[in-house]
Amino acid sequence: MNIKAVIWSGLFLVLLGLYAMGEGSIFIEGARIKFAAIILVSITLYYYIDRARSGEEIYLRTIPGLKALEEAVGRATEMGKSVLFVPGISDMDQVETITGLNLLGHVAEHTAKYETSLNVPVSKSIVMEAGRDICKESYLKAGRPDLYSDDMVHYISDEQFAYAAGVNGIMEREKPAACFYLGKFYAESLMLAETGNSIGAIQIAGTGSPSQIPFFVTACDYTLIGEEFFTASAYLSKKPELVGSIKGQDIVKLLVMVFMVLTLVLNGFFQAGWIGFDILNLY
Amino acid sequence: MLFKRHIPLLIVIGVGLLTLFGHFINNTLIQSFVDKDALQWFDIIASFAMFLGALNMLKLQVIKIIKKQKNWQYSILAVVGFAFAIFAGFFYRGANFITISGIQDENLSEVAIIIAEELNETNSFNIENKIMASHDGYEIDKLFITEGNAKLFMEKLTPYVAAAELKSKSWGAHVQTKGSLFYWMFINIITPLGATMFALLAFFVASASYRAFRIRNFEATLLLVAGIILMLGRVPIGGLIPWWAVSILIIFGIGAIVAPFIKERTILLGIVGGGIVIFIITGTLMGWNQNPPYLLSIPVIQDWIFAYPAMAGSRALMIGISLGIVATSFRIIIGLDKSFLGDK
Repeated sequence: MNIKAVIWSGLFLVLLGLYAMGEGSIFIEGARIKFAAIILVSITLYYYIDRARSGEEIYLRTIPGLKALEEAVGRATEMGKSVLFVPGISDMDQVETITGLNLLGHVAEHTAKYETSLNVPVSKSIVMEAGRDICKESYLKAGRPDLYSDDMVHYISDEQFAYAAGVNGIMEREKPAACFYLGKFYAESLMLAETGNSIGAIQIAGTGSPSQIPFFVTACDYTLIGEEFFTASAYLSKKPELVGSIKGQDIVKLLVMVFMVLTLVLNGFFQAGWIGFDILNLY
Repeated sequence: MLFKRHIPLLIVIGVGLLTLFGHFINNTLIQSFVDKDALQWFDIIASFAMFLGALNMLKLQVIKIIKKQKNWQYSILAVVGFAFAIFAGFFYRGANFITISGIQDENLSEVAIIIAEELNETNSFNIENKIMASHDGYEIDKLFITEGNAKLFMEKLTPYVAAAELKSKSWGAHVQTKGSLFYWMFINIITPLGATMFALLAFFVASASYRAFRIRNFEATLLLVAGIILMLGRVPIGGLIPWWAVSILIIFGIGAIVAPFIKERTILLGIVGGGIVIFIITGTLMGWNQNPPYLLSIPVIQDWIFAYPAMAGSRALMIGISLGIVATSFRIIIGLDKSFLGDK
């Protein structure tokens, strides 16, 4: 029996018990299930992070879009053209933007290594500052701080379509050989992807906006769909604690599936009158 | 290292945990911070940070003009647009309005007629009533971008009123007030440009659809068929397609699915052709011409595709995305992921 699993399960029950005891006084009422879900998810993620740190080998399937990252930069280098990286139009309060900037770090390392010019137009000033920090670190890590320039990461506009028009203009004039769209996008996603397609660039996209994924799938060469985008930084860095969190995420997904089936079955029994307990009341 | 790494990390971990668990704590102050204050702090910081971006953009465009780099002419437009927006926002308000007072009873109708003419209203009695009801001067419901135009109008009223005062809306509020130069710029320049860009999407969708809806493999064929059904179901003509046309399409679809398993083409033709004939005859005899079945309608099939398979796929995607966001947020909150500090 896994001692750590037992300890974490015990911790989960203790925290839940403490919440139940303090409900109404220290803690708000009626949020027990939400609290339990957060604690369960947190403990599951941390358990697998801990296991990965202890040396457990974790298998990750190949994600074609991420494997193509370096190839795309290589293609731009061979063609003597630049790389365009678009980190989305949202601010740092969105997890997708943070993930996109993380991937910018990896792309910047490749462009530093291959001495390819990198262009990162942004829509928000805070993203610009964070992007500059990340690029500077990447170029330093690659041993080419001389190639870094603050103007690589530059501001266009806060307005959605003004930003899209600006980026489209950059694509039409400079004709980058590789375009990365990694962040949060809205209606401008198809404009960017189609323009990139028209200039013959290799395009890799990733977003957490489900309504924009079909447009990227249609127009781009590689698309990171759904959680592939969020696991990208862990996948590329290969750090055990980050890879462990991917496995934890998959286990949480399995738990969600189990709960969904259980709810379906138990609610079916309740509807048929076989049991007197309606599981939907829990939610 | 302390200020660049450790202190920002402590702030992220502290505020992250507070925001996550503060939702469950029964304390008004903490709830207020989590629900409102934290977001307002972010908005304030983001607003100040906008100066950084604006100055960066201006710097790059001006350097391009000075050095006459490639396509420097476009940069002139960018700089002029920026300067105009600054002028309209910070230096020239517009939004001028006139207040009048001390109107004699015998002049009231004349003043009301003049105001009604300016406001393009046919009924001056409403304006008369409003003037009579106002005690501290009547504010004419018209905003002028320029003082000149406002003064020209004021001259018409001066012979009939004791006092006419020219005022402007307050700074800040003027950007959203009709009649200000900034508002004029927003409605007549920014909004049409944004609408133009949005309209381009229609052509981009057509171009993307042309490339996507090619029958390369089974999935692409399914996409094409579903796309056609959804498009037809959304327009009025979809409802006009008769039941027998829909039946023919369904039988052709079934034929396409079983075709790889039937080697003899004559047998396949017989099955599909015979199926169509039998189906149409049966439907006619059952009176489907007058009362077609519910399921043999393109809009109904479209609704079903939208409500079940498309919704299921969309929800599955959302669950995956949500779990991805939760895992990434967890890594950031516990300090494992320090990418936002530039540290990979």
